[in-house]
Amino acid sequence: MIRHMFGKFAKAAALAAAVSFIAAGTTASAAAKFPRKQIQIVVPYAPGGASDTVARIYGKELEKQLGKPVVVVNRTGASGAVGLESVKNSRPDGYTMSYMPVESTMISALGLSDISSDDFTFVCRIMTIPAAITVSKDAKWNTLDDFLKYAKENPGKVTVGNSGPGSIWNVAAASLEQAAGVKFNHVPFDGAAPAVAALLGKNIDAVAVSPSEVKSNVDSGQFKVLAVLGDKRSSVVPDVKTSKELGYDVSAMGWGGFAVPKGTPADVVKILDDASAKVAQSQALKDLLAQRGFEYAYLNGKEMDKFAKSQLESYKVLIPKLIKK
Amino acid sequence: MDMSLWIQGFLSIMTPEVLIFNFAGVVIGIVIGALPGLSATMAIAILTPITFWFEPSCGFAMLIGVWNSAIFAGGISAVIINTPGTPASIASTFDGYQLFRQGKGGLALGINCIFSVAGGVVSTLFLIFLAFPIASFTVKFGPTEYFMLALFGLTMMISCSGNNVVKGMAMGFAGLMLSTVGVDPMLAVKRFTLDTTALVAGVSFLPVMIGMFGIGEVLNQIYEHKKSVEARELKLASSAAGNLGRILPSLKQLLGLVRPAAIASAESAVIGAIPAAGGDIASIICWGQAKKLSKHPEEYGKGSVEGFAVSCTANNGVLGGALTTMLTLGIPGDAVTAILIGSLMMYGMQPGPKMFTDNADFVVQIMQLMLLSNVAILIFGLITAKASAKILNARPETVWVAVCVLCAVGSYALNNSFSDVIIMGLAGIAGFFFKRGGYAPGPFILGLLLGGMLESNLRRALVLSQGSLMIFVERPVTLVLLILIVLTLFYPLIKKRFITKAK
Repeated sequence: MIRHMFGKFAKAAALAAAVSFIAAGTTASAAAKFPRKQIQIVVPYAPGGASDTVARIYGKELEKQLGKPVVVVNRTGASGAVGLESVKNSRPDGYTMSYMPVESTMISALGLSDISSDDFTFVCRIMTIPAAITVSKDAKWNTLDDFLKYAKENPGKVTVGNSGPGSIWNVAAASLEQAAGVKFNHVPFDGAAPAVAALLGKNIDAVAVSPSEVKSNVDSGQFKVLAVLGDKRSSVVPDVKTSKELGYDVSAMGWGGFAVPKGTPADVVKILDDASAKVAQSQALKDLLAQRGFEYAYLNGKEMDKFAKSQLESYKVLIPKLIKK
Repeated sequence: MDMSLWIQGFLSIMTPEVLIFNFAGVVIGIVIGALPGLSATMAIAILTPITFWFEPSCGFAMLIGVWNSAIFAGGISAVIINTPGTPASIASTFDGYQLFRQGKGGLALGINCIFSVAGGVVSTLFLIFLAFPIASFTVKFGPTEYFMLALFGLTMMISCSGNNVVKGMAMGFAGLMLSTVGVDPMLAVKRFTLDTTALVAGVSFLPVMIGMFGIGEVLNQIYEHKKSVEARELKLASSAAGNLGRILPSLKQLLGLVRPAAIASAESAVIGAIPAAGGDIASIICWGQAKKLSKHPEEYGKGSVEGFAVSCTANNGVLGGALTTMLTLGIPGDAVTAILIGSLMMYGMQPGPKMFTDNADFVVQIMQLMLLSNVAILIFGLITAKASAKILNARPETVWVAVCVLCAVGSYALNNSFSDVIIMGLAGIAGFFFKRGGYAPGPFILGLLLGGMLESNLRRALVLSQGSLMIFVERPVTLVLLILIVLTLFYPLIKKRFITKAK
C-alpha cells in the first residue's frame, strides 16, 4: 500500500517533470544543458561485489566525460528488483541511471516483480560473464562428455551448486541439463562464494558460476573447469573449450550494462550513450574487467535494447520450463 | 615462515606513510563503527576504490585499520545507547548497556577496548601459526554443519530470555516466523510479501535490531521518565563532582577475565574461519557458552563484566579467522573479506594457497598490520573512552533525540531504502511494548538473525540427501555439534539430578 502510494507520487513527479520540460521550451535546450548537476547510478547489488566495482569505475570515468559528479548508490534485494524499481520510479531525466544486470531480463519470468528491461532505455553494455562448469581436481570426470555421461547414467545424483534459485547460474546449469538431456540435483546457495566453498569442502560435485569466482582455486590446482557456457572462450581460462565447441548448443552468460528509465528525452540518452562509448574505451575500465575476469563486450544503447529484448523473450519461455514450481 | 620475511615486513610497515594510513583507518573505523547502521562492510566498500591510488601496503594498512576498529567501535554504541553499531556487537548490548545504567559506563568502554584488542591479537596469532590446519577443518563445513551451528545459536535464546523463559521462547519463535518473509531460499517463490517489492527482499534484521534496541529503549525511558527523575538528579550531582567511573579494570578483575576471554578468542577464531559464519553468531555462541561455564551465570544479561568481556573478545576474535579462510582458501568468509579479495586482485595478487608462496612477504605484512591496528585501537580506544564516557553527563533528552536521529539515518543508510526506516520505526514501537510486557527482545533478534541460515541450510541439506534425515547423523562434525546441542539443552536437568543424588 505504502509502496503503491510512493509509486503514484513518483508518477506524479515524473509527470510534473515532463510538463516542466515542455514548459522549458524546445527539446534542444534540455540537451544543451545536460548534465547540470550530479548524476546518480543505482547498483541493485551490495557494495564491494563485482557489479558494484564495475559501476564505480564506470562512474569515475563518466565523471571525466561529463564534467559533473557521478555517485554510486546501492539498493539491494529481490535479485535486483528493489534497486531497478527505484530507478524506474525516478524522474526520467537522465540524472538517475541504473546498473543493469542480466537479472533485469529474468525477474519478471521468475515472478518476483513486474519490472523488466523493457522499462528502461539502455545506454550501453559493458561486459559479459560466461558460466564455468567446474569440478574438484580429483573428480573422476576430466571432460564435459565424461561428466554428462555420468549424469545420464545416474539421473539426479550429480549435485550442482549455483548462486541462488532463479539466478543466472541456476539457469545456466538448467540449460546445460536440458541441452544434454540429463538430470542434475540443483543446490542453490546464498551467492556464488558459498557455492564455491561447498565445492572446496566436497559437499557438492560441481558448480556453475563465473570463471573469475573459481580462478584462484583453478590456479592453485584444486579445481578444474570442464567447459564455459559462453559464445566465446573466457580470458580467465583460455584453454577451456566452450560448450558449443564441444557440441552442446547451450549458451548462458551474465552481462552488465547501464540504462535510464524509459521516457528519458532522446537527446539526453544520446549524450549518455556517446559518453559511455568513450568510457568503454578507457584503459581503467578495460583493466578492471581483465583483472576481475569479465569479458569486455561493449554494445551501444540501441544494440543493447535489441539484445535485452531477445533475452527477455527467451527467458520468458525458458525460465518457467527450467525452474519447476 | 622464515624470520627474515618477518623482519623485512616489520621494517616496511614501520614507515611514516603506512603508520599514518593505518591510524587514519582506525580513526575512521571508530567513527563509522560507533554509528548504528553504518557497518564495517560499508566503510570498507567506500574506501576500497580510494585505496587503489596508494601503494598496496598503505592501502591495506588503511582497510585493515578500518575493519578492526569498526568492529571494536560497534561496542561503544552498544554500551552507551543500547544499539549495536555493527551486527557483530549484538551480544555486547546484553551486559554492556546494563553496566552503563549501573554507572559503570567508563569501565564498560575500557573493557570493550582491552578485550576487543585481546580477541584481535589472539585470533591473529591463530592465523599466523595455525592458518592451514584451521582452514582445512572449516572448509569441510557443509549445509548440515551450518544448520547445526544455527541451531546451536538458537539454544542461546534461553540464556538471553531474561527472567521468563516462556516469554523469551515466544519472542524467539516470533522472530523465526518473521524471518520467513521474503523469497523462498530454495524455490524463489514469494512468501508473505503483501505484494510490495520492499518485502520481497525479506525483513532485514539490522533495521529491526536498531529499532528494537534503540528506539524501543528511548520510548521506554521517556515512559519511565518521571519515576527516574530523582535518580537522575542524584546521578547528575555525582557526575558534577567529576566522577565518570573508572575506565581500567582492577588487576584482580582483569585476572579473573583471562580464562573466559581466552576460551572465547579461541572459539571465535575457529568460528570466524568457517566461511559463512561471522561475528554476530560467534559473539552469541561465545556469550552463551561462557554463561554456562561461569561461576556467576546469574549476572549474565544484568551487567556481568565477564559476559561483556567475552562478547567483546568474540566479535574481534573472528577477524583473524575470517582472514585465515580468505588467505589460505581464496574464498570470502563474509562481505568484508569479499571486498578485500577484490582489492588484492586489483593489486595483482590472487588469494589462495599459492599466495603463501608467491606473495609471502605481503601475507606477512597483512598479519603484522592486524597486530599494528590492534595496538592503535588500544591507544585510541582508551584515549577516547574518557571522552565517550563524558556522554554520561549529557541530558537524557539530548541522548534521546540523538539516538532517534542516528537510528533513522543508520537504517536508511543500510540500503538507501525508506522502507527500512519504516521497518525500524515499527520495530521500535514493538520493542517498547515488548519491554513493558517483560518480553526480552534478545531472543526475537536471534530468531530473525538465524532463521534464514537455519531454514536454507536445513532445506539445502535435504536437497543434497534427497530427503533423508540420516545426513544429520552420518557426518562426524554434524554429529558432534548435535550432541553438543543436546547436552547444552539437558545440562541443567543432568546437573539437578546429580545434586539430588549427592544429597
